[in-house]
Amino acid sequence: MNLTRVFTKTAISTPERQQEADADLVIVRQVQAGDVAAFDKLILKYRERLFGVVYNLTANREDASDLTQDSFIKAFQAINRFQGNCSFFTWLYKIAVNTALSHLRKNRMRSFFSLEKLNEEGPGAEVIEKLTDRNGADRDAYLRELQEKLNEAMQKLSIPHRTVITLFEIDGLSHSEIAEIMGCSEGTVRSRLHYAKQVLQGELSKYIRS
Amino acid sequence: MSDPRHNAKPTLEELLHLKRAERPNADFWAGFERELRQKQLTALVEKRRWWHGLPVLSRRRLYLPVGATAVVAFALVAVRFNTPGHIAQAVNTAPRIEANDPAVEVLPITVVSYPRNQGRYEEPVAAESARPVVVARIEPLASAPVREEISPSARSIAANLARLEQAEPELVQAVMGNRLSAARVQTASLHDEREVEESADSTPRYRLIARYAERALSPQPAAPVREHVARRLGNDLVDDVSRIGVGGNRVSLRF
Repeated sequence: MNLTRVFTKTAISTPERQQEADADLVIVRQVQAGDVAAFDKLILKYRERLFGVVYNLTANREDASDLTQDSFIKAFQAINRFQGNCSFFTWLYKIAVNTALSHLRKNRMRSFFSLEKLNEEGPGAEVIEKLTDRNGADRDAYLRELQEKLNEAMQKLSIPHRTVITLFEIDGLSHSEIAEIMGCSEGTVRSRLHYAKQVLQGELSKYIRS
Repeated sequence: MSDPRHNAKPTLEELLHLKRAERPNADFWAGFERELRQKQLTALVEKRRWWHGLPVLSRRRLYLPVGATAVVAFALVAVRFNTPGHIAQAVNTAPRIEANDPAVEVLPITVVSYPRNQGRYEEPVAAESARPVVVARIEPLASAPVREEISPSARSIAANLARLEQAEPELVQAVMGNRLSAARVQTASLHDEREVEESADSTPRYRLIARYAERALSPQPAAPVREHVARRLGNDLVDDVSRIGVGGNRVSLRF
């Protein structure tokens, strides 16, 4: 069932990503030609998604904010080196993931969470609605507990496994895109994903359906 | 029957999708944009380091000029440091010439210039130059030491002469005669004049050395030798001519 879902997602996402990549390339060429203000369009387009990736890797909103900004600055400084061999989105994600991983390696011993409140109107609203319908009265407490337990379980994963599960399940990237971002094969991505899910299932067995 | 409590639980995927809802509010993004703008300006103003330009160099295919420059620089450095020490540290033993020395004489010179005509030769044009040329009489430094060395052959000759003098002093006296003045002239280049004179007066073996030296350096060969050489040359010439024969249209050569 999971495999079917994966293939469906990849098939649907490819033409969308291609359109997105073409639109991004036009803006990138403008920036490369000297139109610095055009880079703001790319920031507005990707800041939430980029923040989401970094936030799910670090589980700290302040760190995530700084690292996302740093990623945009790095991309801005290196934009003349972008030649369009991959999509700008993949290139930007690669910068953000590498920045976050570098930060995590440097601060391996320092880990404290500062979680965002759940936004019930944005993406994920359907899941919240589904969960609260089932748990009526103390919904806020229940959601908070789920959020904390999930974050704890995520932090028990190694950095590569956490990255794979974040990019695949939360950000909805395909295996090939993750492989390109992480610089490994799709097989490695699949195996890491499988292992990460097993660990999470074990950690969250009390809260999830097997 | 399925457990309703079990069905109420979310799946792992659903729980992970819950993370998508963890998004900051609008205030956060306002602050985010302000900070990002500040960092962007700082990055624009920040002075670029010299090594940031290296990738640009590699893209512009400047490998060859940069590599050639490096090779030339390396060669120069290698030549500089591999110069033999005796060349670099040689002491200049040549006599010094001072420009204001009274021995220095200033002479006018003639500069000959060749006009540059394309492919046509013309006589050089001589012009009197106003530039003086410094000509100096070079004298050895007074402080330079004179090397005094007696060769092994001279020593052996002197020893033989001493033995001969002991055995037959009259013969030695008759042979040496008044040759001491010649000995002084011939050995002046090797010895200090006064020392040679003193030693020649004091020891008879130097007189014999002087005699041999005079004979060796004499510009006129002895008369019998001259006659012998002339006779030999004449014989050779006659012999060569007699080998050539001419008859009719033929020239024959005998070996």
